[in-house]
Amino acid sequence: MSRPISRLGLLARLIGSVTILAIAVLAGIAIGETAIEPSIVLQTLANKLWTAGYGLDPIDEGIVWSYRLPRTLVAGACGAGLAICGLILQALLRNPLAEPYLLGISAGASTGAVLIAVIGVGGGLISLPVGAFAGAVVAFGLVAILARTSRGASASSQIILAGIAGSQLFNALTAYLITKSASAEQARGIMFWLLGNLSGVRWSSVWMAIPAVAIALLVCFWYRRALDAFTFGSDSAASLGIPVRQTRTVLIACAAFVTAIMVSIVGSIGFVGLVIPHAVRLLVGSRHTRLVPTSALVGALFLISADILSRILIKGQVLPIGVITALIGAPVFALLLIRGARVR
Amino acid sequence: MSDPLTTNSEIVLECQALGYAVRETWLVRDISLSIARGERIGIVGPNGSGKSTLLKLLAGIMKPREGQVQLMGRALQGLNRREIAQTLAFVEQQADTLDAISVQDAVELGRTPWLSPVQPWSERDDEVVRHALQDVALAHLSTRAWKTLSGGERQRVHIARALAQTPQVLLLDEPTNHLDIRQQLALLKLVHGLPVTTVMALHDLNQALTCDRLAVMSSGRLVALGPPHDVLTPQQLQNTFGVAGRWLIDPVDGARMLRLEHLSEQERETHD
Repeated sequence: MSRPISRLGLLARLIGSVTILAIAVLAGIAIGETAIEPSIVLQTLANKLWTAGYGLDPIDEGIVWSYRLPRTLVAGACGAGLAICGLILQALLRNPLAEPYLLGISAGASTGAVLIAVIGVGGGLISLPVGAFAGAVVAFGLVAILARTSRGASASSQIILAGIAGSQLFNALTAYLITKSASAEQARGIMFWLLGNLSGVRWSSVWMAIPAVAIALLVCFWYRRALDAFTFGSDSAASLGIPVRQTRTVLIACAAFVTAIMVSIVGSIGFVGLVIPHAVRLLVGSRHTRLVPTSALVGALFLISADILSRILIKGQVLPIGVITALIGAPVFALLLIRGARVR
Repeated sequence: MSDPLTTNSEIVLECQALGYAVRETWLVRDISLSIARGERIGIVGPNGSGKSTLLKLLAGIMKPREGQVQLMGRALQGLNRREIAQTLAFVEQQADTLDAISVQDAVELGRTPWLSPVQPWSERDDEVVRHALQDVALAHLSTRAWKTLSGGERQRVHIARALAQTPQVLLLDEPTNHLDIRQQLALLKLVHGLPVTTVMALHDLNQALTCDRLAVMSSGRLVALGPPHDVLTPQQLQNTFGVAGRWLIDPVDGARMLRLEHLSEQERETHD
């Protein structure tokens, strides 16, 4: 229900969210191959942010500041962004299984990014995220057209099938491009990146990921009532006064933008956009005033935790984070399929 | 917030030479209609005669290929969706959702055209939603989950959502479809008791008799318009619906009703 929350309640929630996020980031920095004392983490942050002047081991300081902090921040931004993308796509397409990975948007973004990075399309004038965005938009366009022209037994599974076809096509294109043009070492690096990998993340990525998520969060929150209005489909949204085409264009462009940014930083990470919105709906109901901020928060916590897991699950090895999210997400996908079958 | 549309004239909704086509196939064509404040208009016609298309054109959900629609004397294409939704509400045929929403949630959606991203939910919105639920006699079910409702209850929730828009014109697309007879009659009674101008597509001709005027559609064209007893002549029933019809009088209260019978293809030809 949409009862407004008092200012005090809002403030309490905000402080609570920031605190939980801060604890998660702290854990993300402290836990890993070399465990670092939380006090050292805090001292490092104090040194860097306020030049507090604690005497610390420069190696510890380096791990905390240049390696784990940006990595954890990007993991959080990426989780929040992908959760919002899933939320947008599920609301607009009226499909509980919609998310950027399953709809081929991530695969398209990968192809776009590889075209720029490996083939050198644009001659260095076009940056990686721009290529990824173009790829994401092309992929979604193709999938949407395919779903629309192939009216099958059920319209809602049609777009998922089209998404699978799209993913396969773009993944194949990516593999082709890599095999054709990349050196063996480059190819291995790219393949690892494609599975979703946070290892190479530095501060420059943080300054891309966090603003992108902030923009998406604001846009989504601005359109929260429009997202609600799609509950009974697009004709119903139109009769509730929503300019359907404009709303769809803005929000899907927003989802493609966030997916593109995330893919160009960490590769394609699947199932976050699927799992998080469904889990959050169980917590706060299906109104987007609450769904949008809560999904972003839970998405951030989820991916920070997944990143920690990926670092400690196998001794001496870092799992691609996409493996962790898929291990959790695929069973949830199956569960939704079974539940969907029972509803119909 | 924009002002609601108002007009001094008694005509709230009208269209001239309205047409809609998919590629070269016209789904509706050359339809002109004027609807006065407080009127209850029924749209009847066989399947595929263009009833739903006409309603969607009047609601501005689909853009006409030809002609135009005026709401409160202003051209629909000159109004934004929000302004239209503050004046006109549309209840689709069987709109469903998989979302776990309550009756209250669904009806609150009707306030969408009156809210903006920076304008919070107010007491007035609560008031309107409560009234809308009372108008369809569902106040006691406000916390029930959507998926637990019967077909008739769902349709009433949709009507309450439309009423929460505080519209002056309400369009309904076959609201009694798939309901049992008791629910059908209850719903019609409810709709006719609403204090708004209603335009409603209907299948059952005897149920359509309760409207002030009927618009008879055939192959996308408006073939008759007027009071039910004037337009549903035996000749019209045969030409448009392909059935034999006779007016009967109920000996109890003198009400007139239609007796309809199937016509074989041969009978249709010999009658022509």
